[in-house]
Amino acid sequence: MVNCSAVRQAVIEGDEERTVALVREALEQNVNPAEIVASGLQAGMITVGDKFSSGEFFIPDMLFAARAVTRALDVLRPRLSDSDTITMGRVVIGTVASDIHDIGKNLVGMFLEGVGFEVLDLGTDVSAERFVAAVKEYRPDILGMSSLLTTTMSSMEATIQTLESAGSRHQVKVIIGGAPVTQHFADRIGADGYGADGGAAIKLCRKLMGR
Amino acid sequence: MGVSHKARILAAARKQAVDKLPFCARIDVWYNYHSGHGTLPEKYKDWNMVEILRDQGAGAQVRHLRIWRVEYDNLEVTTQEDPPYKTTEWRTPVGTVSLRTVFRPEEGPWIVYEVDHPFKSKEDYPAIEYIFENTRIVPDLSEYRQKEEMAGEDGMVMTGMDLYSPMQQIMRYWLGYERFFYELRDHPAQVERLYELQKEIAKKKLEILGESTVEIPLLCANWSDEFHTPVFAKYFVPWLREASDYLHSKGKVTQVHADGEMKRLIPLFLETGVDVAEAWSPAPMTSVTTAELRKTWGDRVTIWGGIPAVLFEPQYSEEEFDAYIKSLFKEIAPGNNFIVGMGDNLPFDGRIERVGRVAELIDKYGRVPMEI
Repeated sequence: MVNCSAVRQAVIEGDEERTVALVREALEQNVNPAEIVASGLQAGMITVGDKFSSGEFFIPDMLFAARAVTRALDVLRPRLSDSDTITMGRVVIGTVASDIHDIGKNLVGMFLEGVGFEVLDLGTDVSAERFVAAVKEYRPDILGMSSLLTTTMSSMEATIQTLESAGSRHQVKVIIGGAPVTQHFADRIGADGYGADGGAAIKLCRKLMGR
Repeated sequence: MGVSHKARILAAARKQAVDKLPFCARIDVWYNYHSGHGTLPEKYKDWNMVEILRDQGAGAQVRHLRIWRVEYDNLEVTTQEDPPYKTTEWRTPVGTVSLRTVFRPEEGPWIVYEVDHPFKSKEDYPAIEYIFENTRIVPDLSEYRQKEEMAGEDGMVMTGMDLYSPMQQIMRYWLGYERFFYELRDHPAQVERLYELQKEIAKKKLEILGESTVEIPLLCANWSDEFHTPVFAKYFVPWLREASDYLHSKGKVTQVHADGEMKRLIPLFLETGVDVAEAWSPAPMTSVTTAELRKTWGDRVTIWGGIPAVLFEPQYSEEEFDAYIKSLFKEIAPGNNFIVGMGDNLPFDGRIERVGRVAELIDKYGRVPMEI
């Protein structure tokens, strides 16, 4: 009998083939699909995020785990009923205006999806107005902004101010990250959180969602 | 006449005695941004970077990444400009691949950034192999000579192998990080083949550097331990060791641009034989302090950097800035094998006067051996 901890372990090991095979086997054995997602896939990805933050794991470990989860979800989705909640929350992410760096932002998006967040990626060079429009349209729980450059960090502050002017700041938690960004900077511009890396972003978003 | 900035920098890089701490600053992000926006301080209108840094009392870094150029045989290369974007296409008898890049130096960064990499799927391996097999490296020192003249005795032209070591070239430029790690797991033989071909190309660059007048060739740049540690021992260390040994035999010392998170790379670095870690960026921009780095490396590696770029921004007061510099001096005392610099650049909103302040503090406390 397949149990969810085996699925979780396969995700931690980044073993895509075994994760998918175990999920198929569990479904054949009538294990609740929502349970497989929560106790297998998401639990595995959370452990991977923790190991990344503690320095035990590296970016490729996160990538392989996220890919395993994505493939397993493809198998699971048709078996999930409408009432099965697998979403931890909705996150809109993007790299701020005049900044086209996307590696960190892409990884954070991938990792957040792996632990069960619904992620809408606005891409790079996203203006404050586009962020605000996305908050109004998609009603995310969290808005994540990335910046690799000291030249573009100020766009984060401008976006928060634009959110305030538009009366939308209270609707969404704002988190920021990127190489030059610090907690000191996040506090100064009034962000709700700062994540130093992908693992920290997972922790931060779960915390903000009360998970 | 006193000792020049360049002489002090070279002495520290070669682990020789210096009279006071060398200081070699990098301000191209700040300079490009303000030049592009017409907002350079009035005094510095129409000045170049070396002149500004001379005025501030600092040595200058002048960036020019390569003293060679790439040419191709038996294939067609076309480029299409759509500023700030550029698309390059390599048409080979075994397939076509394309790269889309962006370059916006007026926003500060002066390096080209890849937004769409040549490798899209495993079907692209034959074309990329073909490109590598038909790549020629040709010496091209004309621009380097101009930069060398511009820097004079006031600083160093930072040049060498380009930004990336052979496997890093594949990771960053040809495949992109995410695809690289997937491909290394899914198709290791093909990635290894690309690596072997890139090493042959890199050896040609090394030969040119070996015969040149470049004193501290740059071997590669832009590591971050969460990306590079898993492949560093297997693919980076042997190459850097080979490159360093070769360049040492030519009387040179070697450097890498080490401005990323280095925590888990620090012990591995000692196996590379590289002499200088440039653009060292300590906490709060990374998780490691200069004291921790010195404790692990001792005198085996010359550190160049030590001032996190954010310290130059207005969010830090003048008192906080001075306190940081003084604490850095305490960490590095007595001051051997250290070149003061920033990790890695003066930010666009950084205060240029603080470059001068570093020079003042070095004059006051930086006589080697330092007693602070």
